[in-house]
Amino acid sequence: MTLRRSLLVLLGLLVTGAAVAYAQAPEAPSVDFPYAGNRTAVWFVANLHILFAAFILGAPIFAVVSEWLGYKNNDPKYDRLAKEVTKVTVILYSMTALTGGLFIFVLLGTYPDFTTWFIQHFFMVFAVIYPLLFIAETIILYTYFYTWDSLKGEKKARHIALGVLLNIVGTVTLFVIDGPTSFMNTPAESAEGMSIFETVASMNLWDKIANYSWMPLNLHRLVGNVTFGGFIAGLIAAYMYMGAKSDEERSYYDWMGFVGNLIGVGALLLLPFMGYLLAYELCDYDASICPYMMADQLSMFFEMQGAMVGLIFLASNYYIWLSMKRIQGVENVRISGLVMIAVILMPAIMGLAWKMFPPPEWQSLIFLALLVFLPPVLSKLPGLRFTVSAFTMIKVGFLMIVVADAIWMTPHGFVATQAMATEENELPSWASELALMPAKNAAAFTLVFLTVVNYILYNRAIKCGTIVWGKIDFASQFVLIFLAFSAIWTMGLMGTVRSLTRKYYHVYNLLPDFTPESFTPTLAYSAWWITGTTLVFYAVVSFAIIVTLRSTDKKASVPQGEALPAAAK
Amino acid sequence: MAEQSLTKNILRKGLIGIVVGVVLVIAARLTHFPEIFQIMFFVYAMLGAFVFILLDAPSMTRLEGGKAVVGLLLFYVIISGVYIAGAGILPQYDPGIEKGKIEKLLKARRARTQQGKAEELIARAKALDEKADAITKQLASLGAGAQAVVVSSERDAAPAAASGDLVAVGKEQWELQECYNCHKLYGQGGKKRGPEMDNIGNLMTAAQLREKIIDPKSWMAEGFDKQYKKGKMPDKYKDLMFDEEIDALVAFLVSLKDASVNTPKPIKMK
Repeated sequence: MTLRRSLLVLLGLLVTGAAVAYAQAPEAPSVDFPYAGNRTAVWFVANLHILFAAFILGAPIFAVVSEWLGYKNNDPKYDRLAKEVTKVTVILYSMTALTGGLFIFVLLGTYPDFTTWFIQHFFMVFAVIYPLLFIAETIILYTYFYTWDSLKGEKKARHIALGVLLNIVGTVTLFVIDGPTSFMNTPAESAEGMSIFETVASMNLWDKIANYSWMPLNLHRLVGNVTFGGFIAGLIAAYMYMGAKSDEERSYYDWMGFVGNLIGVGALLLLPFMGYLLAYELCDYDASICPYMMADQLSMFFEMQGAMVGLIFLASNYYIWLSMKRIQGVENVRISGLVMIAVILMPAIMGLAWKMFPPPEWQSLIFLALLVFLPPVLSKLPGLRFTVSAFTMIKVGFLMIVVADAIWMTPHGFVATQAMATEENELPSWASELALMPAKNAAAFTLVFLTVVNYILYNRAIKCGTIVWGKIDFASQFVLIFLAFSAIWTMGLMGTVRSLTRKYYHVYNLLPDFTPESFTPTLAYSAWWITGTTLVFYAVVSFAIIVTLRSTDKKASVPQGEALPAAAK
Repeated sequence: MAEQSLTKNILRKGLIGIVVGVVLVIAARLTHFPEIFQIMFFVYAMLGAFVFILLDAPSMTRLEGGKAVVGLLLFYVIISGVYIAGAGILPQYDPGIEKGKIEKLLKARRARTQQGKAEELIARAKALDEKADAITKQLASLGAGAQAVVVSSERDAAPAAASGDLVAVGKEQWELQECYNCHKLYGQGGKKRGPEMDNIGNLMTAAQLREKIIDPKSWMAEGFDKQYKKGKMPDKYKDLMFDEEIDALVAFLVSLKDASVNTPKPIKMK
């Protein structure tokens, strides 16, 4: 009995001691975002910030190229296009800074330990290099915009040089900030005889920036930003075309939409390969990332990506179709039937080639070169000179786009993770090749090749036909809006995927995320937030376009309404 | 180009789409594609029909003023809805499965961090508080001869490790570290990146297996030269796993002795 009482007293003392320790434990007020939760709040703000950042980095590339074309060809349309895009960029620049600040505040409030750790690892970047670059970019951007009218005529080259400088600084800024971003995915490979923690501790700033996925991410974002800039220029054109009051305005914005789409699609053609390079490097860094992306939790995210890429290619080619339909004399444009045969055979031949010679082996490129260059050469031989009309070729092309989409989107199994694959939901073994990378690569090349062929046909059509700007099918404006919306949505989706490849880590394999939200959200949940971000971004951009351009469009209109042979322009 | 009337266009292309779709479904059924793929092929046929309807559709009437704004807003609602619905239709991974895994993986790691230690202390103090309350109430309600029964909830919640079943813990590690992504076992999992493991216990000792996990370059499976050269097996487990977790995984691997499976021969490289 005495022993029991003694034990109880001892327990009581322990409780008192522990309670004192408990009372003394520092209790920082925790932040909990209502409804969304902390992780989703950071996700939303970061995504929004990246969209604005992508625009202010992509649009100046678009603008300076356009300005240079105007200077070279002595065509004021290009100069006006460049200036209008820059005007919207100037407005959205402040939104980039605002969302950037918001991002840091939200991150610091919700993940203080990680944020402090991260900033300390990249202190010079966050405290010195990045702010200096941002300030330099701000000064150059505003100088570029406000010297537009004073640096013209003989001084135009200086203005273009200023635009080039703006893009150089912008690109360096992108590359610098990609360092910490990519570090979170691929911090380091442990050096011989050292743990990953010791390796990271021994690394200098440059080693941390120049990590495994840094350059692939740089290239992917750079090309993505140009695509983005092009499609947003298309969006601007569509809005302005819809609100245009005169034929002159409509003809100008019809032309602007075409140029925006051309640049957007031109860069888009490279994007699948840049994405593939990034994924390849991530898998090379850690082989377990690959099944997580392609066969496990993220597999259906890639299914959605396939659908989005397919829709973007369909829409961009549909825009070319609508552009061609209004060219008088397009009926006379023809192309070798061998090109059509090459397009039809491409998925099968390239699928086999990549199966025999998977990347990084180069031999498969011989097959690709033969498919691309042999038809025009062979078509010069007697007996092989049969041709098809441009419209037949494009229709066959659309059929093959659907086929390529189908191949791209065919998964090994219709399941959220391959662990759940059964005979009822996976491909029969004889068709399993359809789900593998050679087939996906073949589909990507088919989409790209078809789009190039369609632009070649368009080019032939405008050389021998007559084009009337401003008379395009009104549906084309919705196609431009659709392209911009889908491109932004896909950016949000793939940004989500890139972040999720870190799994339950803030910094992969290095710094675990101990919060209850470190799991992979469902695709359906992600889609709601990606759509929300896209709509908010769209609302702000739409507002900026209306505020900056609608009030000045009457003053800056250039007469373009008359029908002229396209080649003369 | 002559433009057909929209209705005629929709009917004609729609019918062709249905016919092509049905043909594809029949072909897919005959070649043993599961039902879900048959549906997918039909959807592609209808997508093709939709594309061709659009190609030959008559020009759209210009929208102006309020009509243009309403048209735009409606368009945004439709594409937003389509994208959300499209993502929602696809199979969804249940986060609950992953949450369980993450909790198991991070619990031990969290306990070893400063933050984890503070939180553990707080949690223990709270538990002791509750116990003290319970004891006080018990003492108050009972006589002098009564016994206060203190039940250890910690003992009830003891993990598999405490039971001493090292192989079971090792099997759990196999799942948690997702070794199945690259190694086939019991007929399940990947087999292209790494060898099947069912008979590894007859081919390698515990020490050798431990060496391979800590330093993947120390051993190579016969026939996996390419994967070995590319360093497919991540060199991270020495950092990510605690010693006791590696021991458990090794104990599990050593227990795999199914000689009917052709596990490739290990070759000492270092």
